[in-house]
Amino acid sequence: MDKQSITLTVNGRNIEFKAEPRKLLSDALREDCHLTGTHVGCEHGVCGACTVLVDGRPARACLTYAIQMEGHEISTIESVGEHGALSVLQQAMHELHGLQCGFCTPGIVMTFEAFLRDHPEPTEEQIRDALSGNLCRCTGYQNIVAAIQLAAQRMRGEPVGGPR
Amino acid sequence: MAQDKFRHIGSHVPRKEDERLLTGRGRYIDDIAVPGALHACFVRSPHAHARIVSIDAQPALDMPGVVAVVTGKDLAAWTTRHRMAPPIDGLQAVEMDTMPTDKARFQGDPVACVIAQDRYLAEDAAEQVAVTYEVLPAVTSMWQALEPASPRVDETLPSNLLSHQHAEHGEVASQMQNAHRVVESVFSQHRQTHLPIETRGCIAVWDEGRQHLTFHVGTQVPHPYRTTLAGRLRLSESQVTVISPDVGGGFGQKIALYREELAVAAVARHLKRPVRWREDRMENLLASSQAREDHCRTRAAVDAQGRVLALELEIVEDFGAYSFYPGNYLARVVAMILTGPYKIQNYSYDVKVVLSNKVGNGPMRAPMSVTSWVMEGTMDAIARSLQLDPVAVRRTNMIEPGDLPYTMATGEVLADITPRETMEAALAAIDYEDFRARQRSARERGVYLGLGICTVVESTTYGSKFYKAAGIPGSGHEAAWVRIEPSGVVNASCGLGATGQGYETALSNAVAEGLGVDPSCVQIQLGHTDVAPYGMGSRGARGGTAGGGTLYLCALDARAKVLAIAAQRLGLASCESLRMRDGRVEQQFDSQWRDSGMGLVDVARTAYLDPLALPQGMGPGLEFHKTYEPPPMTYSNSTHVCEVRVDANTGAIAFDRYLVAEDCGTVLSPVVVEGQQHGAIAMGLSGSLFEHVEYDANGQNLSGSLAEYLVATAHELPHFEIISMHTPNKATPAGIKGMAEGGVMGAIGAVTNAVNDAIAPFGVTATRQPLTPMYLRDLMRGKQPD
Repeated sequence: MDKQSITLTVNGRNIEFKAEPRKLLSDALREDCHLTGTHVGCEHGVCGACTVLVDGRPARACLTYAIQMEGHEISTIESVGEHGALSVLQQAMHELHGLQCGFCTPGIVMTFEAFLRDHPEPTEEQIRDALSGNLCRCTGYQNIVAAIQLAAQRMRGEPVGGPR
Repeated sequence: MAQDKFRHIGSHVPRKEDERLLTGRGRYIDDIAVPGALHACFVRSPHAHARIVSIDAQPALDMPGVVAVVTGKDLAAWTTRHRMAPPIDGLQAVEMDTMPTDKARFQGDPVACVIAQDRYLAEDAAEQVAVTYEVLPAVTSMWQALEPASPRVDETLPSNLLSHQHAEHGEVASQMQNAHRVVESVFSQHRQTHLPIETRGCIAVWDEGRQHLTFHVGTQVPHPYRTTLAGRLRLSESQVTVISPDVGGGFGQKIALYREELAVAAVARHLKRPVRWREDRMENLLASSQAREDHCRTRAAVDAQGRVLALELEIVEDFGAYSFYPGNYLARVVAMILTGPYKIQNYSYDVKVVLSNKVGNGPMRAPMSVTSWVMEGTMDAIARSLQLDPVAVRRTNMIEPGDLPYTMATGEVLADITPRETMEAALAAIDYEDFRARQRSARERGVYLGLGICTVVESTTYGSKFYKAAGIPGSGHEAAWVRIEPSGVVNASCGLGATGQGYETALSNAVAEGLGVDPSCVQIQLGHTDVAPYGMGSRGARGGTAGGGTLYLCALDARAKVLAIAAQRLGLASCESLRMRDGRVEQQFDSQWRDSGMGLVDVARTAYLDPLALPQGMGPGLEFHKTYEPPPMTYSNSTHVCEVRVDANTGAIAFDRYLVAEDCGTVLSPVVVEGQQHGAIAMGLSGSLFEHVEYDANGQNLSGSLAEYLVATAHELPHFEIISMHTPNKATPAGIKGMAEGGVMGAIGAVTNAVNDAIAPFGVTATRQPLTPMYLRDLMRGKQPD
């Protein structure tokens, strides 16, 4: 299959590369944009590890061709926080041990960066419902749920206790 | 709490690993860029059992971008066969090729490997490799495997019975004859798979000039892996470096050297070009490793009070098609530790392990997972049979503090465990009597509540003596080094292979405690065989005692030398009045500790840059190495209590409460331990309720995607309440016991016992998993509750 020129807007930057039209967004982000924080766990849209934001909404990068994403704004985990400057959600995940091997973590962070914008006061039920789209084999989810609750509280500016 | 005597061990500090993982800056196999690397894709058998008649690779080789197609015959020339023949009574010696040359033994067995310029091309080309098969009848159940006329999975063996062991301790037959009653129970566990979210993968880089292989692979056991890889390639260990980066979960799936990985290494060496492989999820579900499929039967001779006078256990395990581990490796441990928290001296077991046309088994988090369900399910069956309270039956049989150390019928010694304490703590927290009252009134309203109890004695650190007693080859020792650098910072390493547990955090605490520095000054270097000492890696729950314990002992050696140098510099005859605290040397005056004016950095400078100032006879530098052999076995213990409600109309299970009291001794990092507790319980519940690798009668795997292989999500799992207890092990460094698998054991038993308690009014008992609504409805259909 012939390669063709594709331009993606990722984390506010235009990136042009050559790839086959069948190249998945997840592979293009990792291989052509050199953004390896988006992980590939199942390649059939179930595990949620590859979740990125497309125009602000969570989407599975493994179910989308890169070429379809021309003209859309894509945000990956690399845009969220960085060394010494974690986002509110990332900081809460750290304090409450909401991750272990870290492979599913970028997908969870991306899902809930968007979720918390839309749901500033989520119930545990809403959080567990939204989280059911991301598989985690290490944590049993409990501390992820607690971290999302803590992040929501902090984003609302409510006083919260320190880490346990 | 015994942990109080420590300054850093047991401190509640978030993990060091988190920042890079949270920001997408972790480095997993697929994140490692290797210029010019070729991509491998495997051609896999669509049949469960079939002769390979011919392989025509030409259509694939004709495609642009395809570099090579190799088959089992090529690999047979480049690698040695794998021989599994430990000297164990009742175990058949077996061999396997790097890739099959004559027949495929399960659906997904690799028969050819395509090498191309990218992964998309390699997958296209794999579809063009034309393999002609002669389909053979398949063995798809353990019972079929045992039939004399069954097709043979391995034609070099006389039958499919791979391993058979039997042992009898005490007087079993006579007790059975004279007992008040003999209670028989069945426990059938279904096939499951580890499902790390990061699938398998590797990168082989062959250096033709140095004749050296650098092999990047996520592995739990870097050094044993390297030894095997080098041997199979006919290379020396000096010619192979194994590097394991961040790993996206292992759970036992990343221990063995897989045939795909060996093939990639051999092809890279043959082509003299780097080759990489990333398994897709379907391959992971169809062809990596699987576990758990075992059928257990117990017969318990009891008196009228439910006291167990003798116990018989029979296990049959379906081991799949290949022996990546000795056949007795998994099931025999179940037999050896079955009686766990109970005083049972008359005990016999019979363990049969059979081959079938399924994926080969590997240890999955709690390879002995079924143990506690079998023992605690037997206790419940005794209670039901004698119409006694299940707690009363447990109290009658349980090991009391005064019984310790307790030698089990199999000769294994239990010490420093607290099963009675965890059970009573869990029952008090859940308010057992109140639950029974609520259960009675709910039943009158047609609501079926159930409570399940499962007390676990978890074998954690397997010492060399246990391996020998169980007939498993291998050592239980571990190795560590600690190096204080000239600037005073500390590097340390051991042979463990991290797969997400949080070793950098927990092991830093062990080194910090031993040396007397802050954990933030300690950097743990793992997973690189040129850096790490030769240790046995991560398996079971040995990381804490073997890894943490060895590092702690090594750090104590380091501290002794540091204080000896400090004493010399301070003009003291000995270091008796000195201690290390947070990287400073403190001196005792009367009963007060005061800063001596010296820190670790001053001592380090002397050791490296002014060696003539060292005490006479002392060598320069601050580098330390230690090996440590743990006791034959360490045990942690816990009691899980689970409250469910079962909808009698649909068979659906809902959790009302899940509580665990766990005593895992001295804890290096409570953050890491809590994560392990949650994760293990989740894996146990998910496996008991949903996960199922299902083969049809022809050996076709029906669970090749995550739409079929169902895993519990955040929606299905309950909130876990944990009561922590810390009775130190007196025989290990710092009293560490280890933990990480008991949660699986407890969850499997607690949820099943709870469901059986809930459906008891219908006069039925679930004897197999998964506990699907369909299965529970089938049990209750047509039955009227009392």
